[in-house]
Amino acid sequence: MSRFIIPKHLEVPLGACLPAPVKEQPGMITGNWRTERPVIDHEACTTCLNCFIYCPDACWHLDEKTEQMVWNADYCKGCMICVNECAPNCLSMVNELEFPDGVVRLEKPF
Amino acid sequence: MAKEVFYSGCAAAAYGAKDARVEVISSYPIRPYTGIMMELSKLVANGELEAEFVHGEGEHAQVSIAYGAAAAGARAYTGSSGVGVTYAMECYSPAAGGRLPCQMAIADRALDPPGDFGSEHTDVMSARDQGWIMGWAESPQEVYDNTIMYYRIGEDHRVLLPQFCCQDGYFVSHIPGRMQMEDQKAVDDFLPPYNHPHTLDPNKPINHGPQIFPDQGSAINVQRAVAFDDVEAVIAEVVGDYNKAFGRDYSPFVDEYMMDDAEICFFLQGAHARTARYAVNHLRKQGIKAGVSRLRFMRPFPTQAVMESLSKVKAVGVVETNTSYGGAARGGAIIHEARHACYNLDNRPIITSFMAGLGGEIVTLNEFYAMAKVLSDAVKSGKANDSYWMNFEKEVLDTHS
Amino acid sequence: MAKEVKTQNLEMSKSLRQVTQDEWYVPGHRTCQGCGPALVYKLVSKAAGANSIFLGPTGCMYVANTSYLCAPFAYPWMHTQITNAGAVASGVEAAYQILIRKGKYKGELPNVVVMAGDGGSIDIGLQAMSAMMYRGHDALFIMYDNESYANTGIQTSPMTPYGANTTFTPPGKEVPEGKVLFPKDAPQLVIGGHPAVHYVATASCAYPVDLINKVRKGLNYKGPSFIHIHSPCPKGWLFDASKTIEVAKLAIQTGMWVNYEWENGEYTYQHTPKEYKPVKEYMKGQYRFNHLTDAHYAKMQAFIDAKLKAPGKPVAVPVQGPREQA
Repeated sequence: MSRFIIPKHLEVPLGACLPAPVKEQPGMITGNWRTERPVIDHEACTTCLNCFIYCPDACWHLDEKTEQMVWNADYCKGCMICVNECAPNCLSMVNELEFPDGVVRLEKPF
Repeated sequence: MAKEVFYSGCAAAAYGAKDARVEVISSYPIRPYTGIMMELSKLVANGELEAEFVHGEGEHAQVSIAYGAAAAGARAYTGSSGVGVTYAMECYSPAAGGRLPCQMAIADRALDPPGDFGSEHTDVMSARDQGWIMGWAESPQEVYDNTIMYYRIGEDHRVLLPQFCCQDGYFVSHIPGRMQMEDQKAVDDFLPPYNHPHTLDPNKPINHGPQIFPDQGSAINVQRAVAFDDVEAVIAEVVGDYNKAFGRDYSPFVDEYMMDDAEICFFLQGAHARTARYAVNHLRKQGIKAGVSRLRFMRPFPTQAVMESLSKVKAVGVVETNTSYGGAARGGAIIHEARHACYNLDNRPIITSFMAGLGGEIVTLNEFYAMAKVLSDAVKSGKANDSYWMNFEKEVLDTHS
Repeated sequence: MAKEVKTQNLEMSKSLRQVTQDEWYVPGHRTCQGCGPALVYKLVSKAAGANSIFLGPTGCMYVANTSYLCAPFAYPWMHTQITNAGAVASGVEAAYQILIRKGKYKGELPNVVVMAGDGGSIDIGLQAMSAMMYRGHDALFIMYDNESYANTGIQTSPMTPYGANTTFTPPGKEVPEGKVLFPKDAPQLVIGGHPAVHYVATASCAYPVDLINKVRKGLNYKGPSFIHIHSPCPKGWLFDASKTIEVAKLAIQTGMWVNYEWENGEYTYQHTPKEYKPVKEYMKGQYRFNHLTDAHYAKMQAFIDAKLKAPGKPVAVPVQGPREQA
């Protein structure tokens, strides 16, 4: 019988070794960092894919079925690289306060 | 087929590693362990051992290569001596904390400054807090046997810890002794293939070792403490199985010689125990009831077994072939743990220590006799110093011849 | 002798459209807004794909990515010390070689990729990197270069440009330029010195398709390759987070960064501008150079002009070491 009692909130995987994530890492939600978000004008978008390729957080991807760019609200940090690199200038920065789900509006961000 | 050979400790380690079917070997030359790698390189070159022989760029790299290989799913082997062992210091905790059970052969050597090829235990003793299993062999046979046993201990899923398999430089590494090398199939039966619960495998991806917040740190440390609580039972099991499989009679933790009716004893690890036993034979002829208690594992320090052994005598002389400058006893490191083991005894023996064999000198029979006199006097007077530096203090002067 | 170990052959992408939408460096990491190294990690991960094992030495791409007890790597990944990424990767690769030869691992040899920062590649990690190159392991060493020890708070590294303000090279009365030393030339530390290396390249996050193809080329070689990737750091170089790609492009337009490949002794260059813009234009956009005078800019211009005579090759540079100056 081990003398050690490991409380649930102090449980850590053996040797700090975790299963790899698959599509996202919810242990580090970063959407609550931003004060502005990129807004896309789908009509003007030419799917040049600059936003997709240049986002360090992989927050833009092309939905191959709709041929439209999809934005990830949970993780976008609001760095605005995408806005700066958008070839047809169809992205604009809009303050989070303008959105009902804007992170600065939430009582407790995430 | 098992066969009797006449091998040095270096060769014994190499053939132990061969029979353990090590898969990744990382080498780098430093006296006196180099012979292990020279022998292994021949075995790999001849196709007698199927392994990757990686020429490390230094000892720090050797340990890194070994634990990388262990993480990827291979049985890994490396080794060093002296300052090579201390140079690799950064890598010991990542290997142990990452639960990567590679093995490092140590043919110990005095640390610089300045250059000294002689044997001292301080090199790897200074890594004893890093969370590895650690123990000394006293003969080429025991080196061979420990090499195989330590893999089974370290790879056990209750343990998952790397191991320092140590031998006295020169005294064991370079002096041949008669030993039995076992049949490969019998060793295979005793030591199953490497099997690790979390390897780096694209079929089952893991993220190994992310940054943690300080309050997660204690939880990981406790896991390592749990492993050290569980390892003694595993050691007893493994040694018992090895004894049965190969006809040995190792005591798992403490090897006793004439302890049952002893009044004084020498407590030490490694090859000088053999001289100590000769000294005991001579002392007994003079009516002095001496004994030898030889420690087989420094980590885990077998506190219970040591207490049981040392409680048999009235005075213990810890023979330290290591230094712990500024330590409580102003001598070596082992006395602190020996005294701790006996702390709760109603009739604690007097425990003192003798700094002997430093620099790689032989510990002579005369030195052991001088130690025995100090211990016998201590039994009479009830007192002894914390440490005696052999040949440099009045109680133990002029014993070197 | 040894049974041949089968490795995958990765295809080149001809355009952005051909780049996979799959991510192996997934959203959810604590890197700064606009982090150049994070973008590089994403692109390298796309290039390598699922059959990969990544080694991440300590640095921004370790600490920032994995805070706390979570990481964004969809492939197997292990932390290494900043000192030993090359060595640990060598151990991983050697293990797979023997496990495949012994029939214990049935798949193809995984890509073994090191993602080391400038410090972990050519400063404290130099020995391990060079030894991996020398021993010929089938592995790829990527140096993401943010020109400093960024994770510890932007200290100077051997890749920090002359004249940069870092927290170990602050400008002051005695040292008006801040950083006095000129940087190492990282690819040249590898080129020609390691016989088993056939491919060394530089790349930039500004040209992602080129970067992905170079990574795949390196991975396709059955031996070690080294790729040095420019990874601008908004926090360390002090420019707005939205400008990471702009800064990377300007580096190439001013000659402060050159994209090239060295393959079996031959050099080829990519994205060479018809005319180089003055380096001052690049440096003015980063507050880390804000303290410099025209005399300092001139020194940088002279250095870059000399390097541009033969990028990636040993040339004489008009540099006076600290002991040579009056």
